[in-house]
Amino acid sequence: MDISQIWSLLILNPMINSLLWIYNVLANNFGLAIIVFTILVRLVTYPLTSQQMKSTQKMQDMQKSKQWLDIQKKYKDNKEKLSQEQMKLYKEMGVNPFGSCLPTLIQFPIIIGLYQAINQALPPAPTQLLNFTNHVYPFTNAASLIPLNSYFLWMDLSVPEKDFGIAIAGFTIPILAILVVVSTFFQSKLMTPPSTTGDQGAGMTRAMNLYMPLFMGYLAYSFPSGLALYFVTSNLVGVLQYAAMGKLNWRNLIPARNAPK
Amino acid sequence: MKLKTSLLLLLLILLAASLSACVGGGAATATSWPGLTVDENTAYVAYNREVRAIQLADGKLKWSFPEEPNNSTTFYANPAISPDGQLIVSSYNHVLYSLNPETGSTNWEFTDAGNRFIAGPLAVEQGIFAPDASEILYALDLEGKLRWTFTTEGESWSQPIADPDCECIYLGSMDHTVYALNPADGKLIWQTEGLGGAIVGIPVLGPGGVLYVGTFGSQVIAIDTQDGKKIWSAPTEGWVWAGPTLSDDRLYVGDLDGNFYAFDANTGQEVWQITADSLDGQIVGSPLVLEDRIYFTTEAGILYSLDKQGQNLASVEVGGKLYTSPVAAGDLILVAPVQAETSELLVALPKDVSQWQDGQSVWAYIPEENKK
Repeated sequence: MDISQIWSLLILNPMINSLLWIYNVLANNFGLAIIVFTILVRLVTYPLTSQQMKSTQKMQDMQKSKQWLDIQKKYKDNKEKLSQEQMKLYKEMGVNPFGSCLPTLIQFPIIIGLYQAINQALPPAPTQLLNFTNHVYPFTNAASLIPLNSYFLWMDLSVPEKDFGIAIAGFTIPILAILVVVSTFFQSKLMTPPSTTGDQGAGMTRAMNLYMPLFMGYLAYSFPSGLALYFVTSNLVGVLQYAAMGKLNWRNLIPARNAPK
Repeated sequence: MKLKTSLLLLLLILLAASLSACVGGGAATATSWPGLTVDENTAYVAYNREVRAIQLADGKLKWSFPEEPNNSTTFYANPAISPDGQLIVSSYNHVLYSLNPETGSTNWEFTDAGNRFIAGPLAVEQGIFAPDASEILYALDLEGKLRWTFTTEGESWSQPIADPDCECIYLGSMDHTVYALNPADGKLIWQTEGLGGAIVGIPVLGPGGVLYVGTFGSQVIAIDTQDGKKIWSAPTEGWVWAGPTLSDDRLYVGDLDGNFYAFDANTGQEVWQITADSLDGQIVGSPLVLEDRIYFTTEAGILYSLDKQGQNLASVEVGGKLYTSPVAAGDLILVAPVQAETSELLVALPKDVSQWQDGQSVWAYIPEENKK
């Protein structure tokens, strides 16, 4: 069994068939199927999200500790030593510096798998349709569902927004891409814990809060809009999950109140 | 923190690269397998960026179209030869071309279609009928002027067929139905009820007013051409992609599970079946029936032949993947592989299966760019 077969077996086939099953249940609406699928994915990966929050909180607590501030001051001119001491402190305080990256890593196969699943479930031509037939499970009754209805609201979920978006004076207004950028930005802001001001990490976080939404917007604009729908839904569900846990940081949205005192 | 941020940035770059690598761009590239048609002396192969005319006598290239191929103009459907000698080719860039079959020069172009032409056109005395992938069937006269359009409820990837007895054309659709239309004005004569699955293969017309189709609902269905009512349906193990082939009251068809069947065309009773265990790969193309033998291809790149009793199975490995239906040309069987290791676009094999034992083709055409 080669890597592509393993990928199909573990990621792609379950995704395609889950989408097909949900599509069938939800009156043949692929947009709703993507939304429900996304909510299910967020629920399944909730333990990881929770773990990420704990890791981030631990990291924040550690960075406020006297030991951390002391070593920052003591080794400010010796980066190598500073790094060694920081690692030592991570160990002592039981903090995994990569702990909060895991949910991001998990998003990787989901995004790639979903992208492939959307492309294959909404095939534009015979090669793609024939390929799709090799991925369906018998119980999904795919034969009666094909071709799937790719339209949802104003979107054709099978093609990038630039191919169907509302155009004014020859320029396609990237509504979905804007929604993705805005929702990713607000999600990043709301889910970033209060930072110790002036530290290097806070600067990096600010940079990521800026670049990540733009990057996601680029993906949303360039790839089939079903993926953009996944991004927007995932962001909204993520914010709701954090809100339910009482962890939203509304102060990040108000620069004046978040300014250093 | 710096390390973590760098890692995240790296992941983002990797993600973008992975998504791009999946398709080589924004959306999945729409592709299919070669379209193949022959006339007395020439095979016309529509594949990827070119339509090629290849001499049947020696497999040499006669001409190719367009003169300067480009990635935005691709061809995959079977070309059609009109009664007045035009070669009609449909493209994925929403254009229908009329070419001179001798030279490959353009007679006219129809550029008003709204979507790609996945199906091949039908070219008959009454005109040219070409469905595009946006649910519209275009009817043109033989000069390429639009006469009427008809909108179906789903995309049509299947070439329409003409019925001279009733002055009708029939169109199988992805919307699970078949339409009968008046070729003069495009008026709907009848539409079948839902047939349980999409129809992408070309329907076949039998004597006595019966139309046969294969469906994704794993069935072969006989339809009364008087009113569009189902006469019988016969189950298959897998989805049926291609249309069946009719010969002497028998229907021959393969399915995507790799089984091959013979059905009684009058009753739908299965006469015999060759199971997938004895064959190798999905069957996508329609079978070819010549005199007392049946020929069909599989995804594994094998051309099979057997007699009409389902016995004396012979095979020859062509290589690559064979999705295009085999086509007869005199004493030759033409097959058009894709992804062949030796890069052939068209392979001519002898019709006589006793000559298959050495596995040698009569000739094979390899495009110049594949030789580099």
